[in-house]
Order: sequence, then C-alpha cells, then structure tokens
Amino acid sequence: MIHITINGKVVQAKDGEMLLTVIRREKIDVPTLCHHEAVEPSGACRLCMVEITKPEWDGWCDYVTSCLYPAADGLIVNTHAKKVNELRSSILDMYLARHPKSPEIRQLAAEYGVLKTQFEEVVDGDNCILCGICTRICDTMGFHAISMVGRGHGKEVAPPLNMAPTACVGCLSCAKNCPTNYIEYNMENGGLTIWKKDFEMVACTECGKTTITKEFAEYLSKNRDINIDYFRKCDECHRKELAGTMGRISNWDREARS
Amino acid sequence: MNNRFIVKPELCTGCRSCELACSFTHAIDGVRALTRITPIDGGFKDLWVPVTCLQCDDAACIKSCLVNALKRNPVTGAVELNHEVCVNCMACVAACPFGCAVLDTQANLIVKCDLCGGDPACAHFCPTKALVWEPIEKSVKKTG
Repeated sequence: MIHITINGKVVQAKDGEMLLTVIRREKIDVPTLCHHEAVEPSGACRLCMVEITKPEWDGWCDYVTSCLYPAADGLIVNTHAKKVNELRSSILDMYLARHPKSPEIRQLAAEYGVLKTQFEEVVDGDNCILCGICTRICDTMGFHAISMVGRGHGKEVAPPLNMAPTACVGCLSCAKNCPTNYIEYNMENGGLTIWKKDFEMVACTECGKTTITKEFAEYLSKNRDINIDYFRKCDECHRKELAGTMGRISNWDREARS
Repeated sequence: MNNRFIVKPELCTGCRSCELACSFTHAIDGVRALTRITPIDGGFKDLWVPVTCLQCDDAACIKSCLVNALKRNPVTGAVELNHEVCVNCMACVAACPFGCAVLDTQANLIVKCDLCGGDPACAHFCPTKALVWEPIEKSVKKTG
C-alpha cells in the first residue's frame, strides 16, 4: 500500500494502480470518453488529465492522463486545478469543432464552459471521436470484428475491407458502449443489422421476446460450454418456469403435511 | 460462507415487500432500481414463489461473461456483477436458465441478486419469514 494526496486528501492506493482508478474510487468526477473498466486504458480522449507534483519537485508540476499514469508513493494530485480545467476546455473546444452535432460532446463542453468553438467547425463530419472503445471491447471479448482503419484524416473504425465482418456475432457491445452513440444498428422484426451484417435474433419459444442473436447464442454454447437449450426462452418465461417447478414441489410438501 | 439464503414458497403470501426492499436497497442516486427478487404465482391456490438468483455452483452467467464482469464473492458465495466492467452484451441475461439476470431498462444496467453483499434486505422485510438468511448450522439442525 502506498499513500497519495488527491485534492488535499490523503488516500491509500496499490502500487502501480492507475491514478484514474484511485480517483474514481474516491468518487471524484473526472470526465472521460475513452475509459472502460473492461478494457486496457489507452489515453485516447485526453480528458482525464490531472496535475501531479511531488514535494521534492521544487514546485514543478506535470500534466498527465490519469488513466495511464501509475500511482506512486507521495504523489500530490489535483484533479480540478485551474490549468487542468483550462486544458480540458481547450481539448473539448477541439472536440466541439470536429463533432459540432454530437449532443454528448456539446453537453460535456458546456459543463466546462465551452458553448461555441473558437476553431472552424467541420461541416460534414461524423460523431466518431476515434477513441477506440468499440475496437478494444471487441478485441477483449475475443471477436476482433472491427478495428481502426487508415491514418490521419482518413482514420475510421471499420470491419475488414469494409465488408460485413464474418467474426461479428452481433452482441452490440460496441454500439452500447460508444461514448457518442455513433455506431448505428437497426433492430426490427426479429432481426438485427450492424456493420452491414444481418443477424437473426433468438425468439423465445413461449412469448417471442428477443434477447440476443442466434450467432451469439451459438458462439456462447460452443466456446463457453453452455447448453444451447438455455437460450430458447426469454428471462421472464424462465422465471415463470422456475416458479412453476418450485410451486409443484412446495405443493407436494403442503399436501403431505395436511 | 457461514450463512445461507432460504426461500420457503409455502410461507410466501405474495405481498411483494421483498420487491420494495430490493428496489430501495439497490437504488442509484435516489432512483429506485429494478427488483432482483419477485414473487410469481406458483400455479396452485395461495402459492407464491419468490423467484431470485439461485447462485448456481456451475453458473451459466459466469461462463457466459466474456469480460469477466461476473465473479463469485468467496465470503457470501453470491455471484456478483461489476457494473463498471459490464459491457451490456446481454449474454448472461440470455444464458441464465432461471431468468434471474435482468436488464434494468431505466438505468440501462444488467442487474442480478448479490445477496446485498452478505445481508439480504428482502429477508429483513419478509413478514412471514418465507425468505430467511441464517447460519448454515442452524438450518441443518432444523431439518435434521
């Protein structure tokens, strides 16, 4: 265990733990767009910048992305110093110029006092901030269906060759965790379309409710050793089935006693 | 694992006190959460079954989680879901053969019973003791 000071409060941390993890544990609000506990940090969005210093640094301080900076003993962290807030608002200013239509970016920028960008707005831009949260989650889950393609201005998230990815099972984790809700999918009539690939959903045999795609259910049953029959019914019908079974047993018990 | 959670459907009156206790205990920022326990009609006269996670030994939800968000708490024996790690892929919701991992559409989180970290609120609020949380030795002695 080591001790670091965050905003004047001495807190305990594990050696080598990332600063952002400690900051979040202390319930201090530091904005992030690219961070997710399920995946390795990448420092793409730059919004988790904090000011760090040490007594022996003679008043010198450094500005680092807290998601990638390991905690060290005696570190003094300031999450909302004047200069840190200035840095964050200038980063958000650039985000706002690049993605002026994104409601999530606009809201976050407004929280830091940036209502209008001082740069030239990109008119025909999209809402993808290229944080890579979707590709990292896809890789961690073991599908590797999408990745970053191209460089510089042409960089984008796409499946291989911009064709329907064979590795995608339609789990929707990329779309649901996108910080700007950029990844589009279409779910209707028991089907799902994402990354130009069409999926069929597993419909509950009792009520017809859909939860996951057939491909995902088959993947889980094959790779994770789960009985494929578990996926036939929806959660609600499963609960009713369990209540029915437990009810029958309780009724035997009741009849035996009376 | 010193205590265990016992459900006795023959004592349940379907009053739904457990639902309220659960909802309020798991509230986020003062907003009530989706209940993890729910009494369902058992199919016979005056018979309700409080349905909640059975904390299976060989849990399908743990096996189905591709990001290791579901882990067993060695102290309580409960399967706990870490919401920070969860990516909302719905694998556990679909895989649970008892339908006890549920999507809370309001909070947009997948929720399941975690035995309140070792002191289930529903057991405290159950007026007929259909839900009990008691030491294993006690219940073993009673049943003989």
